[in-house]
Amino acid sequence: MSAILTVMRAGPLSSIQDEGRFGMLLHGISASGPMDRAAFALAGQLSGGGSGGIEFTTAGLDIRLASGTCQVGFAGGDFVVRHNGMVQDWPGTVLLETGDTLAVTPGSWGNYGYLRFDADIVAKPMMGSIATSSRAGLGGIEGRALRVGDVIELSGGGGTGTVPVLPEQAEGAIRVIWGLHADSFPQELRQRFLDGTFTISPRLDRMGVRLDDVDGVFADAKVLSLVSDAIVPGDIQILGDGSPIVLMRDHQPTGGYPRIATVVTVDLDRFAQLRPGTSVAFTPITLDHAHQLLRSRQR
Amino acid sequence: MAGSSASETFPMPTLIPLGDSSFLVRFGTTLTDDANRAAIAFASALARAPVPGVLEVMPNLVSVLLRYDPCAATPDTILGEVRLRLSGLASDKRKPHGWTIPVVFDGPDLEETAAALGMTGGAFIAAHNASPLRVLATGFAPGFVYCGLHPQVLVLPRRMAVRPAVPAGSVLFAAGQTAIAATEMPTGWHVIGHTDFNNFEPTKQRPTRLTAGDTIQFEAVR
Repeated sequence: MSAILTVMRAGPLSSIQDEGRFGMLLHGISASGPMDRAAFALAGQLSGGGSGGIEFTTAGLDIRLASGTCQVGFAGGDFVVRHNGMVQDWPGTVLLETGDTLAVTPGSWGNYGYLRFDADIVAKPMMGSIATSSRAGLGGIEGRALRVGDVIELSGGGGTGTVPVLPEQAEGAIRVIWGLHADSFPQELRQRFLDGTFTISPRLDRMGVRLDDVDGVFADAKVLSLVSDAIVPGDIQILGDGSPIVLMRDHQPTGGYPRIATVVTVDLDRFAQLRPGTSVAFTPITLDHAHQLLRSRQR
Repeated sequence: MAGSSASETFPMPTLIPLGDSSFLVRFGTTLTDDANRAAIAFASALARAPVPGVLEVMPNLVSVLLRYDPCAATPDTILGEVRLRLSGLASDKRKPHGWTIPVVFDGPDLEETAAALGMTGGAFIAAHNASPLRVLATGFAPGFVYCGLHPQVLVLPRRMAVRPAVPAGSVLFAAGQTAIAATEMPTGWHVIGHTDFNNFEPTKQRPTRLTAGDTIQFEAVR
């Protein structure tokens, strides 16, 4: 099976992703991979499971199949997808034939959506992965976001199967585990962090999501200079000016700002999909509870 | 500098969950030679005897990150294995790889850095290169290395202002350390020179050459 598609329109944060480039932290490279891993997996199931996929944002995406045929699956957030102008169910799947167009525009919620195909995306693997790292400038097409005129080749049988990840159905507060430097924040400040309201700021990308600290919880926090230490996705760090920022898939591998908490794995997809302006609250759970949630999701 | 005698003892670490899929084994909260050597030795011990369920090990300046699969191993099992390796922890027995790295000391902050330490440029360069440094940690950015620790007379805080971009190969100096940027990046460190030594080749399966624990002799070239 093979096909060639052309990017007719792409937002500045669209990129080629796969599950991620794991194992490269000591070389200074975080794993990247989909911002919403469950949605990426679902698009793969719908399409037939070719490797790799296109991640797009509320800026939308238009593609045209220049040659061949392919089954395309789409999922993630809420988007409107048109196949040759006809609106399709979202999430869903459709067969693209030569000359067909697929146009995606934002729907009512979510920041990220995915297109995946029944054949593999052809890109040069870097350290075993084609995931685009916006931080390291690796993977995908020349390590950069997609843009108009990009040509993406699809080849191979696909169908290698993707591990289904059940999307987390939870709503409400984002669950966290207290972070590496939680003890260096006064108890009173930790409580205000839980009581406070934050909103997702417009300053978000694949590296991190900056929060607006509506109640000024961290406005007067004394931020100590710390020895640089390992960062994981979901870490909530407090910058020198008191801004909280949640580090995401293209996070820096190490950093020296204090981290009060870490978003649990099962809630990170949901957090990534929160649009600017959305209120968000955080609630702590135990490590054991976080693991129970992970195990129940895999069943 | 502390030797690696048989009686070497390491600081007792704390084991801290970092999210729900990593533990940090932290040997100190400030950068000391002992804590750094312990982190490197422990990472080396984990490489020799991997812990089942642990997917990735990254030594940092004073800690080691263990990324694990919570559906494949319980925290109790992992921490038990970690404590076993800590109890027998000996200094890193690997013979460190020694590198000589040529540096052109022409950075925009060289004279200011030397003056702040009460030295001429030439005296600073001589003092900087007087003895080999250790690679303390990698991982901050692709191919980036922290080297140290310099003696107290060479300790200088970071600059007040951050430079938005310095080129790959920049040799940086601050906080008792010398660092090499392998990619373009912003930095608040003093830029004292540059090197042609390339520590990041993304097309290779192992994209960097320097490893924590290696020794580096810097050499002034024109």
